[in-house]
Amino acid sequence: MKATPQRKKPIFYLSKESGTIKNPFEEFKYFTVPTHDLPLDQIVQSTEAVMDRIRWGYEKLLEEEAKELVWMVQYNTIIKAYEVAEKYVKEVDYAAEDIEDFCFALENTQKIPYLIPGPAGVYISALCNYAKEEEIVLKLSELKTEINLLGFRLPKGKRLMIDGDTGDFTGIGLEGGELAVEGNAKNWTGAGMRGGKILVKKNIGLHTGEWMMGGEIYVGGRVRGLGNIVEGKVYERDKLVYPGKTKYPNLYY
Amino acid sequence: MAIVGKNGYQKQAMEIYQFISEHLYFNRPDMEIKGVRFNSAILLSLLTGLKKGKELIIGEPGLGKTTSAEYVCSLIYQFPLGVIWGSEVSGHPEQTEEKIIGRPDLGKLNRGEEDVVWTNFSQIPVKIVDEINRLPETKQSMILDGVDRGNWEYLNEMIINDEYCLFATANYQDGGTNTIIAPLVDRFDVMVESRYPGANLSFLIGKDKRKDHVLRHPKYEKDLYHVLKSKIAYEKKISKMEEICNEFGEYLYEVLGVKSFQKPDRDQIRGEMESLKLDLDASALTRMLLAELSFCERYGQKRVVENCEEGCHYTGYLCHQIKNCASNRLPSSITQYAQGLAWLLEDSAIDIEHIQAVVPMTLAHRVQWKDEILSQKERSKRDDPLPIFLAKEAVKAVSQRYREQSEHLKDALAAGSKIFQGGALEPLEGDHPLYVEIIKDIDIRKKE
Repeated sequence: MKATPQRKKPIFYLSKESGTIKNPFEEFKYFTVPTHDLPLDQIVQSTEAVMDRIRWGYEKLLEEEAKELVWMVQYNTIIKAYEVAEKYVKEVDYAAEDIEDFCFALENTQKIPYLIPGPAGVYISALCNYAKEEEIVLKLSELKTEINLLGFRLPKGKRLMIDGDTGDFTGIGLEGGELAVEGNAKNWTGAGMRGGKILVKKNIGLHTGEWMMGGEIYVGGRVRGLGNIVEGKVYERDKLVYPGKTKYPNLYY
Repeated sequence: MAIVGKNGYQKQAMEIYQFISEHLYFNRPDMEIKGVRFNSAILLSLLTGLKKGKELIIGEPGLGKTTSAEYVCSLIYQFPLGVIWGSEVSGHPEQTEEKIIGRPDLGKLNRGEEDVVWTNFSQIPVKIVDEINRLPETKQSMILDGVDRGNWEYLNEMIINDEYCLFATANYQDGGTNTIIAPLVDRFDVMVESRYPGANLSFLIGKDKRKDHVLRHPKYEKDLYHVLKSKIAYEKKISKMEEICNEFGEYLYEVLGVKSFQKPDRDQIRGEMESLKLDLDASALTRMLLAELSFCERYGQKRVVENCEEGCHYTGYLCHQIKNCASNRLPSSITQYAQGLAWLLEDSAIDIEHIQAVVPMTLAHRVQWKDEILSQKERSKRDDPLPIFLAKEAVKAVSQRYREQSEHLKDALAAGSKIFQGGALEPLEGDHPLYVEIIKDIDIRKKE
């Protein structure tokens, strides 16, 4: 019997898809439009991220300090609060402007549960002391609340300028830095400071320089009363008032 | 992304370029690509030789149109100048098929046998047609097929050139010139001008008249002529010629220190060039350009016999400034020369800069501008001949439009691809002929 001759295999096979037109856009198959963030969006985004971190640290500080129920300004309370603040501040990468934003956020945002002038001041001081910048300007004149304890332990080489009024205990425990207040400062300013300079453009309250161990306090307006100063100088309108004739603290002179 | 082999071929090609520009063809650089400055006549000729292209060289008489091509061919294909000279076809009204392609073997014909004696022009891979526009229009048709495919037919015989490149020179219009017929013009991949080198370089050229003797070699020329005249099969002739060419190449390397390319080198280079692909921007820009050169909303496409409609929406695009439609040879020429350029610059893909550099030369001779555009721009301040100047201006305008909408355009093409694959998307709209073309392609797909 004659074998059926085998058919030669065709060189090209017709595919199932034959007859369909080739996709002329094939090479663009995987193209996706890259999303271009506007520089401003990026700045806002990164600022918000930093602010979240700063706020988180402050909330942690409040949580720990809430155990005390009522925040009492006692030196060891402040030191303890500052140590907690230091711990959280060290973890955040921020710039001087972020500190100012935080000050305003304390008053104007719902994200921060409450502003307690004491812990807030300790926390802001820690932020200033650990900031990369040597000179920090905080424009706080629009703030309704006067924050206490600003400039706590400001180290040597740092300059903190505050545009506005400050609360009690401004610049306490100053460690060689320069603190300038372009407004009024309340009581206990410069208490326990060891060195450095405090410049208050307007008036200053009672107990100024209480247990002050060194440094200078310059007041452009009036000093309502001096504290028990151990060492250091206090000037009122360029006039040296301590050491001087005044021997009686907390007295009007 | 293709990876071009690091075998030193690019360096070798650049050395040939340097040698020609420093010793043989003095001229100023007139183009810059990615910080590298080139003389367009040498660069394009080099790429034509390497890429098996077809180049039309225009210019005033005596400005080195033919010689630049001869030098490049001699160094790339290792042919002594004497052989190249003996293989050139000159364009004149009395030119015949017998002088260009082949003639009957008269001796054999006397004996009643029919055989063809092929011309050197039809046999060697380097083809130079001098003053092509002096060929009458009727005789230009004789070389159409040969120019396009490398097929040379005479009587009932045919030889096919596997490897060939073609250079044609043309003077500007004078009393003795004819227009080059549109189908022949379209077959040229690029057009370049061999320019005046400036008074100082021209003075140097005048001082050194015999500089081309370095590419001559009487013995090898004689040997090559002997092979060309012999009656062996064409394929055998090619391999015999290659042997002699390789010897001439070695001679060139010994004497001039310039390493020329052997056939396997040229094949390898072409393979490397072929592997280079267009990146998305290069592809989108080329599509945008092609759309502008072919689009007509009213009549479906550009046709040389049809005029633009009054008040057409697309008056701001190239389609409104030109008469004819871009041919399918245009994208092929763009890709080929962009591949060559990207390879020479050792880039891993063809990008937008390669495209922008080669497009004016691939476009200049193919576009028929409307008379009003010609009269508008004829007197513009420029360094280039009008067709190249207009092509460069066109590329600038299209590139500007591309910059403005590149992301949206690529997105539209990507959407087109997804719809083509069956995606339930709507094509993107935009104000450019290419968006309309995308929608047309998608509609055809939907109708299937």
